[in-house]
Amino acid sequence: MVKNVILSVIFLVALILILLKERKYCLRKCRANNHQHGASHKHGEWISIDFYSYASQIRGWNPVFKVSFAVALVILCIVLDNPYVSLIVIIAMAYLTIVRGGLAAREYLSVLMIPAAFIIISIFTIVIDISKEPAGHFNLHMGFFYIFTFKAKLEQGLLLMLKVFAAVSALQMMTLSTPSSEIIYVLRRSHIPKLIVELMNMIYRFIFILLDVSAKMKNSALSRHGYCDLKTSWHTFGRIAGNMLVISLKKANAYYDAMEARCYDGELVFFEEYKKIDKKLVISSVGFLIFLSIFPWITI
Amino acid sequence: MAKKILQVEDMHYVYGNGKPALEGVNVEIFQGEKIAVMGSNGSGKSTFFLNINGVLLPEQGKIIYSGITVDKKNIKELRKNIGIVFQDADNQIIASTVMAEVGFGPMNLKLPKAEVHKRVEEAMEYMNITEFRDRPPHYLSGGEKKRVSIADIIAMKPEIIIFDEPTAALDPLNATMLEGVLKSLEAEGKTILLSTHDVDFAYRWAERILVFCHGKIIADGTPVDIFNNREVLKQANLKQPAMLEIYELLLEKNILNGNANKTYPRHVKDLRKLLEGLNS
Repeated sequence: MVKNVILSVIFLVALILILLKERKYCLRKCRANNHQHGASHKHGEWISIDFYSYASQIRGWNPVFKVSFAVALVILCIVLDNPYVSLIVIIAMAYLTIVRGGLAAREYLSVLMIPAAFIIISIFTIVIDISKEPAGHFNLHMGFFYIFTFKAKLEQGLLLMLKVFAAVSALQMMTLSTPSSEIIYVLRRSHIPKLIVELMNMIYRFIFILLDVSAKMKNSALSRHGYCDLKTSWHTFGRIAGNMLVISLKKANAYYDAMEARCYDGELVFFEEYKKIDKKLVISSVGFLIFLSIFPWITI
Repeated sequence: MAKKILQVEDMHYVYGNGKPALEGVNVEIFQGEKIAVMGSNGSGKSTFFLNINGVLLPEQGKIIYSGITVDKKNIKELRKNIGIVFQDADNQIIASTVMAEVGFGPMNLKLPKAEVHKRVEEAMEYMNITEFRDRPPHYLSGGEKKRVSIADIIAMKPEIIIFDEPTAALDPLNATMLEGVLKSLEAEGKTILLSTHDVDFAYRWAERILVFCHGKIIADGTPVDIFNNREVLKQANLKQPAMLEIYELLLEKNILNGNANKTYPRHVKDLRKLLEGLNS
């Protein structure tokens, strides 16, 4: 029990250290960027995820295999509920993404840190309780009330955090190595309703088009002092938002024409190439899954 | 005489806002022709293209494709056999990888998968975009997107290919690439319609020019005829190509004497030949 707690605490401390460091790095990077390009538009964190998945060296792996492997890992983490299993999964996924996938460790951590903030906050709300009288093993007087917690609850919280991180890193392995189009392909293969799959395809494409349009409009507003003070900025924002609606309607029309010109008749079907399944990969990953599932019984 | 492939009779089209875009267009297009479509913005070129492609339905008039009058039932034939490369590639590319995008047309033609695969590979090879096959379109440059949008149409193997202002927004290198593609398509016997504002390009490339003005075709003839017709040029706000102007200047100053068979130089090398012939 004590070992578990120590394990989790070390993990938590490491996490917070990374978070702090990452923030500094980010700030420095942003400043350097602004310095270089002046008004460069940043697309935010998730666009870089899209790019990483495209650049990953394990992109060639069969997407069905990758998605099912990630899902199997998530299920194992939840069902086994064992901190060692969770840690092994975290390490293994980092290995797959960084060493096999060729993503820089710093980039991997920065992507993993996006959910970290949410996870830590939600773990806090699970662990901590509020009462009017002092209670529990630890409590803190906050004027009108006490916040308190029990040792067992603390431990439970830490284990939960490890479990969530393991599941998140398994999914992260999938997203950082599989482009969206391939994930959509897997969904289509697994008989998700056609409407949803088609919508996903369209949305994925249109996000980038609309981002592009908004970046252009923003730049042109910027060049005409559209953001010189707060009031003007609000005004400009409203105008751009309104214009975006008009433009997206126009674009939708233009797209529909272009699709009709290519014999579109109501069903959006794309040509996909089948990626071969590497047998060695499947065997080793099944081995890994079996090892994980019997692991708790070995250690006891 | 080449086979008549498309005939348009008295085509009218009115947009939803009540503004007429086409007011009685009559034209005959023969197989293997290279036609430049010219005219100022809003003169009806793009509307004309969408109409003969079957995307828009004309208010009035007839389209006859290969001897068959097109109606609502066989409008798909029209779309199958006439492909449009749209002006803005970003308004055409719909899929999230290059390969899926090129395969979109053939998939819609309901071809067997092996055939789709073959056509996609061929079209990508043709446009030299095989290396981008798995790339999402938003990581392509403007010229690369244009190539993808052309490969889209080539993969469908249409009889007539329409290019809507293809040279707009292309750098000189990509424009040269485009001329190369046009040349090889022409060698394959495809009929090409191309709208452009570039008079020099139209003069050098086209065999025939259609001039649109206020929803009507006001002139239809060879480049030399069209560009020597001041009346038409003025009405459609066109100017003479530099090559033609220089040639006429040379005639006027008696540096060249009008050769008997009146062969107008189309390229710089033609003019050079004329001038060198003078010295020898």
